[in-house]
Amino acid sequence: MNALKVPARTIALFVLPCLLLYVCLVFVPIFFSIYTSTFDWNGIGAKKFVGLDNYIRLFTKDAVFWPAVRHTLMFAVFSMVEIPFALYIATLINRFVKKPNFFVTSYFVPVILSVVIIGQLWKTIYNPASLGGMLNQVLDGLGLHSWTRSWLSDKTAAMYALYFVALWQYLGYHLLIQFTGIQNIPSEIYEAAKIDGADGFKADRYITFPLVVPIFKISIILAFIGSLQSFDMIMVMTGGGPGHSTDVIATHMYNMSFLSSKFGYGSSIAMVLVAVCLVATVIINALFNQVERKIS
Amino acid sequence: MSQTRSTAAARMDEPGRKPFPIVKALVFTLLGILLVTQLYPLLWLLIYSLKTNDEILSGKFFALPKSMQWNNYKQAIDAHYWQYLFNSVYVTLVTLVSVIVLASMVAYAITRFKWKLAPIVMLVFLIGMMVPVQATLLPIMLIFKHFHIGDHRLTGTRWSIILPYIAYQTPIAVFILSGFMRTIPREIEESAHMDGANVYCTFRSIILPISVPPIMTVCILTFINIWNEYILAATFISAEKFKTLPFGVNSFISQYSSNYGAIGAYLVLGALPVIVLYFLLSEKITKGMVAGAVKG
Repeated sequence: MNALKVPARTIALFVLPCLLLYVCLVFVPIFFSIYTSTFDWNGIGAKKFVGLDNYIRLFTKDAVFWPAVRHTLMFAVFSMVEIPFALYIATLINRFVKKPNFFVTSYFVPVILSVVIIGQLWKTIYNPASLGGMLNQVLDGLGLHSWTRSWLSDKTAAMYALYFVALWQYLGYHLLIQFTGIQNIPSEIYEAAKIDGADGFKADRYITFPLVVPIFKISIILAFIGSLQSFDMIMVMTGGGPGHSTDVIATHMYNMSFLSSKFGYGSSIAMVLVAVCLVATVIINALFNQVERKIS
Repeated sequence: MSQTRSTAAARMDEPGRKPFPIVKALVFTLLGILLVTQLYPLLWLLIYSLKTNDEILSGKFFALPKSMQWNNYKQAIDAHYWQYLFNSVYVTLVTLVSVIVLASMVAYAITRFKWKLAPIVMLVFLIGMMVPVQATLLPIMLIFKHFHIGDHRLTGTRWSIILPYIAYQTPIAVFILSGFMRTIPREIEESAHMDGANVYCTFRSIILPISVPPIMTVCILTFINIWNEYILAATFISAEKFKTLPFGVNSFISQYSSNYGAIGAYLVLGALPVIVLYFLLSEKITKGMVAGAVKG
């Protein structure tokens, strides 16, 4: 028997409820945003059609936009740099630890917590020592008083402080993904390699790393897309401040749309974000397909 | 030749099983340091939440509180904690059930029915996975306003966040479920058909029960995402009685920004439900999240 032949009515009954809800709340909004982005509109007054003006203004006159793009890309780069480290830790755990679950599940704890908990926790840690901030108290205790600062209100330090929190939260996630990938490599391969004299770090180099590439790719994509979108943590911790020094594309969009009520302008930023996400996914996939072809 | 090989193999075996103790010690030190960096902030928060403001501001971050300040917890709980918790449970449960019902119906139709549009529907869901969620915040708000789901001051009902939550979670759910349903042997359906069961009956009493493992994965992914979601709730809801836990925690903190102990207590209470669940089901949760990542 091949696939079931059922009347169109039945198919509609199975598919339409979900599809309609989904299309109405994901695709219609995106198209609606493309439309809105061609207007100058504050939500209350009349809409004024301005064509591509919002985009032109965004790319040429907006002093916040390009730094925000830079922060977004830096965010992505930092999150991806973490992954080789996670992979290496995962190979170490796999080789040296007999009961790895304890480590792996402990590292994973920050992953399951809400951005609000993580963000506010680190805000408290980053507080000045006089307000009970742990980091500054530790630095004071180590005699590094000159290093102490109010991490989130310091324009140069704030962005790095945020990168660090994201790295901290997702280390366990990437580590677990890689670790699962490594454990899925059949042990016969290692046994065969051992007979040929490839053991320990040599086995890592010639067996583990090449075989784990597909999983590595998934981690990279997750980190990249995640960091393009990671903005709720920034909203919780700094809201883009001080003085726009921690704005990323998404926070800029949010602040423009909801705080300044520039609906048209905010929509144009949102569309840029969508475009960047789509293009980035395609590029990363293409890059890794090449890498995989070269290796195999 | 084979003689020398086997002795060589035996020699290579030794360091494989028993690595140099120094290397092992170094590896465990590294893993231990990571354990501290990943978990100590949470432990610190717990201690912090039991201190008085004076103790927190004194700068001795390592010191234990002189007497446990349970009063911090009382203050936190009195500030709508149960209300927020109830809202979170309600919103998450409704979303979970809806996602599972809707997504499994679509997945069933896509994988088992014969109709031309099936690949296109699948593609629509796949594209949606690449769309950054926050780009839809503004247009969804405008659309809801237009249809009076929620009123002008963004004071949404619970449905104003549940509907987008369902929409955001369906693509990954459809993807995971259809990946599984594709592998169910046709013969099962065939024999059900011979026994006179119609499609609905087959779906409910045969397909759904076999699909419990991927449904669990979807449950875990949806739970973690929705339970922790902050920005959508904060944007669409303003009434105290509808706030979810992450949003509630955040508004408590911005309201009582100098009551450090109570802030700590609220953060602990906010993290507690997920932590308890993770303690009970850590293996299921980590497996589910990895499966979701790898298949997504």
